[in-house]
Amino acid sequence: MVNFTIEEVRALMDKATNVRNMSVIAHVDHGKSTLTDSLLSKAGIISAAKAGDARATDTRADEQERGITIKSTAISLYGNLQDDEDLKDIVGQKTDGRDFLINLIDSPGHVDFSSEVTAALRVTDGALVVVDTIEGVCVQTETVLRQALGERIKPVVIINKVDRALLELQVSKEDLYQSFSRTIESVNVVISTYFDKSLGDVQVYPYKGTVAFGSGLHGWAFTVRQFAQRYAKKFGVDRNKMMERLWGDNYFNPHTKKWTNKGTHDGKPLERAFNQFILDPIFRIFAAVMNFKKDEIATLIDKLNIKISPEDREKEGKQLLKVVMRTFLPAADALMEMMILHLPSPVTAQKYRAETLYEGPTDDEACIGIRDCDPKAPLMLYVSKMVPTSDKGRFYAFGRVFAGTVRSGLKVRIQGPNYTPGKKDDLFIKAIQRTVLMMGGKVDPIDDVPAGNILGLVGIDQFLLKSGTLTTSDTAHNLKVMRFSVSPVVQRSVEVKNAQDLPKLVEGLKRLSKSDPCVLTFINEAGDHVVAGAGELHLEICLKDLEEDHAGVPLRISDPVVPYRETVTAKSSMTALSKSPNKHNRLYMIAEPLDEEVSKEIEAGRITPRDDFKARARILADDFGWDVTDARKIWCFGPDTNGANLLVDQTKAVQYLNEIKDSVVSGFQWASREGPICEEPMRSCRFNIMDVTLHADAIHRGGGQLIPTARRVLYAAALLAEPGLLEPIFLVEIQVPESAMGGVYGVLTRRRGHVFNEQQRPGTPLFTIKAYLPVMESFGFNADLRSHTSGQAFPQMVFDHWQLLPGGSPIDATSKVGQTVQEMRKRKGIKVEVPGIENYYDKL
Amino acid sequence: MLYLIGLGLGDETDITVKGLTIVKKAARLYLEAYTSILLVDKAVLEQYYGREVILADREMVESSSDDILHDAQNVDVAFLVVGDPFGATTHTDLVLRARALKIPISSIPNASIMSAIGATGLQLYNFGQTVSMVFFTETWKPASFYDRIRENRNIGLHTLVLLDIKVKEQSLENMARGRKIYEPPRYMTVGQCASQMLEIEEVKTAEGEGGVYGEESLAIGVARIGGETEKFVSGTLKQLCLADQELGGPLHSLVLLGRRTHELESEYVREFAVSKEDWDRIWKRDYEGKQ
Repeated sequence: MVNFTIEEVRALMDKATNVRNMSVIAHVDHGKSTLTDSLLSKAGIISAAKAGDARATDTRADEQERGITIKSTAISLYGNLQDDEDLKDIVGQKTDGRDFLINLIDSPGHVDFSSEVTAALRVTDGALVVVDTIEGVCVQTETVLRQALGERIKPVVIINKVDRALLELQVSKEDLYQSFSRTIESVNVVISTYFDKSLGDVQVYPYKGTVAFGSGLHGWAFTVRQFAQRYAKKFGVDRNKMMERLWGDNYFNPHTKKWTNKGTHDGKPLERAFNQFILDPIFRIFAAVMNFKKDEIATLIDKLNIKISPEDREKEGKQLLKVVMRTFLPAADALMEMMILHLPSPVTAQKYRAETLYEGPTDDEACIGIRDCDPKAPLMLYVSKMVPTSDKGRFYAFGRVFAGTVRSGLKVRIQGPNYTPGKKDDLFIKAIQRTVLMMGGKVDPIDDVPAGNILGLVGIDQFLLKSGTLTTSDTAHNLKVMRFSVSPVVQRSVEVKNAQDLPKLVEGLKRLSKSDPCVLTFINEAGDHVVAGAGELHLEICLKDLEEDHAGVPLRISDPVVPYRETVTAKSSMTALSKSPNKHNRLYMIAEPLDEEVSKEIEAGRITPRDDFKARARILADDFGWDVTDARKIWCFGPDTNGANLLVDQTKAVQYLNEIKDSVVSGFQWASREGPICEEPMRSCRFNIMDVTLHADAIHRGGGQLIPTARRVLYAAALLAEPGLLEPIFLVEIQVPESAMGGVYGVLTRRRGHVFNEQQRPGTPLFTIKAYLPVMESFGFNADLRSHTSGQAFPQMVFDHWQLLPGGSPIDATSKVGQTVQEMRKRKGIKVEVPGIENYYDKL
Repeated sequence: MLYLIGLGLGDETDITVKGLTIVKKAARLYLEAYTSILLVDKAVLEQYYGREVILADREMVESSSDDILHDAQNVDVAFLVVGDPFGATTHTDLVLRARALKIPISSIPNASIMSAIGATGLQLYNFGQTVSMVFFTETWKPASFYDRIRENRNIGLHTLVLLDIKVKEQSLENMARGRKIYEPPRYMTVGQCASQMLEIEEVKTAEGEGGVYGEESLAIGVARIGGETEKFVSGTLKQLCLADQELGGPLHSLVLLGRRTHELESEYVREFAVSKEDWDRIWKRDYEGKQ
């Protein structure tokens, strides 16, 4: 129980080699927050007695109430290694002394909040992946693991809730081993799928000490390494050798007193070393305590050298079990050891992360500063999210120093996500008022913070919307803008009940938008205030915050609305032509569908407008069959300059073309943001500029002439290319016992759902069903499912892809899709009929 | 009948007698007011003509020309254009549309910047292609005028540079939102033009294609030509960058001298020079006697 002061923490910060920044990530309800608590007990923030049910990192009332984490929370911990011997096990990185500073971020597991996870991962180098023994690797485990690897974050794993396997399922030792082994294997399958050369092989293995087993609720956990240490002395072998023997097909043959990898002796089965040496004592403690065998308990306690106070010895049943196990195998020890030994320090991690973190060239001073984690380099700090302060409406900017040192009063350049070097857009130069250390719900002021550490900043929240880069170098580019794996696909509009509250609502929406990385707030065409979130739950929480906290006024909230995307399904039937208002300029274009694969790559941020155009052309040509010449002449992405629509120049030797590029690009951004069908954004369209006729004099082909013309010709081309409407689709994963499966299928079928995978989890009666469900049909899905399965099915929904809305053409008002379009146009307050092509197409 | 009537460059009294006769009897009068402006207000015109004039902004001429041409088969419609109807600004599109509607057309010429520029003392025979200079933005700096000037300079001709005016333009955002909110009018000055020209020269030099003109190239700044307060200032491009105050209000134009400048031309222009010393020195060095 170490109680540390700010001064001690500050001293540790200077030794970047002894810092570990890590996030705790997992599927919802796999026990992250509870596990985090047991770590905190070690750092002296909450007492050991309360660990397991305090959830110190769930700082909000609704988090405590719902028992889920909604916002990620950071806490600094102090860790140390017992023995200098242990330092030798820190492989591949330098260490300075046995004291360590661990900055830990507990993040939400529910898919709706995975943008919080993204924000947490950005500022950490390692991740503790928590997996439920019984449920195994679930959809969100996979998602967060994939996100982590994408950010080049090294994972270690803890298999949690082992107590349930013992107490509820009463599994045998070998079954438990097999279950562990399967879970680890599925984790490794995910890891190897996203193999990254620079990060190296980061698969996890119990015999390397990168997997722990335990129970967060009971506060105990162990790694194979800990047991190896105990037995190494007894057997007189090297600890590392012992570790390998304690996992996998290794057996100790008591007859020959020799180690073997054969599971039998004289036809009789041998007990696996893991079962015999590790699980056996645990099983015996469980059996003895739960069966109230007092004598046996006493012997065991003495034999295992567990020191328990006399009053604890009086306890019985689960209470006693908790005490015994917690003293025998304290969770904090195992986890601390695993994190310190196997997760990288900022010094190590930033070497390979620098290039993926930084948008600029890899040889400028900013990037070199990041690579070396140099506290004397120019400041490079990434703000990943905003945390509300007790002062209403103000926020701490939460982030990590990647290079340099940040201190109160330092004048910094605050670069928003739209900042481009050399320009003044999205840039402020301001002084930092205060720097603070984030400690769960509390903050502590600190004078300065050097590279490699996580902190909160006061006084810059007015200048950044959600995230951004802080630097002292005039030439620094941005740290890479975060990509979220979830999209805001559910919208609801809000209005105030009392008209005079409107200003409060507007202010509240601003605050809401700041406090959540993924929420979107905007005013739609009809003038309504709209809030968009990742799912029903996310939106519900956001709106609750808005009503009760950010705005603090009574609100009327509309039914949920789903955003659509406009697309094309064929090549334009002829070349579209539009003339500029002065008729001196003519644009000719063709629309065609963009490969779904390419669109996905763009949306995932793997093909971006910022790529080197030659490298990008190579990828498009090699992987997606593009013509290299075309691929090199991509003018822009849109909407918002990074969307999944492309404008390609296919003209041949047109004079002055580069002088109208700017205007055409603007027109393209405009058109792709509001398509011709119902002013929804376009998606997955490729527009080819076929030819252009221009006036010789620049004055007759300015923006006023060409921007509207570009938009009109794009609309015409799209309308000629069999337009379609895309609707968002959720991937639903449902865990359900066999008996309730019928109900699940019934509900899914009624809601246009489509099951594509059904699997039984070995050793359990649970089935995992995976299905696609239109977001449109997902409202009230949870409640419906609950009532049809007597509450036995638990769905997780996450946006997966866009799919063509079936049922006819959107420009045919009599079709089903046409009806949807008209309703949408009505809601937006625009003319109900889709404007015909004659509005955009000019005859020669 | 559709009449396209040139108004000349100065004030209401520059209209020709023939033009005025038509103005008096036409059924409707439109004043095109976006490619150039007269140095006096619409109200002054109306008073002089003794009747109402409809202001035709760009939107009206380009997007609702049908209103202008309405019933022109039967009645006379006069379309008033500052300068000459087919001078610097071309209204050929309107004529084409009228033709398509079988409307007879007649045009009444008047003075244009293209001819009035002779007042600088430069011989109209020695002018090459005319170019225009637009307002540059952060991202939009069309430089094609540079190649036209290069062609002119290669054969020693003068270049008339017409300067951008933005009388009633929407900002990008307002255009995207379909809001009819217009920016305040802007008129380019000789100083802005000269500095934009030098900016492009710098860019082109960096690309290895420069050298068409430079800071010491001689030019003439012209303000309100044809009006009572017309003003000329001559000097190097660099000097002209700072000549806005001397030139006064809009409209401005600029002439870049070709090297085939005649002695008489120089003698005439040097009277307007910012610094006669510099003028003589540079003229002797770069222009005199060059073919």
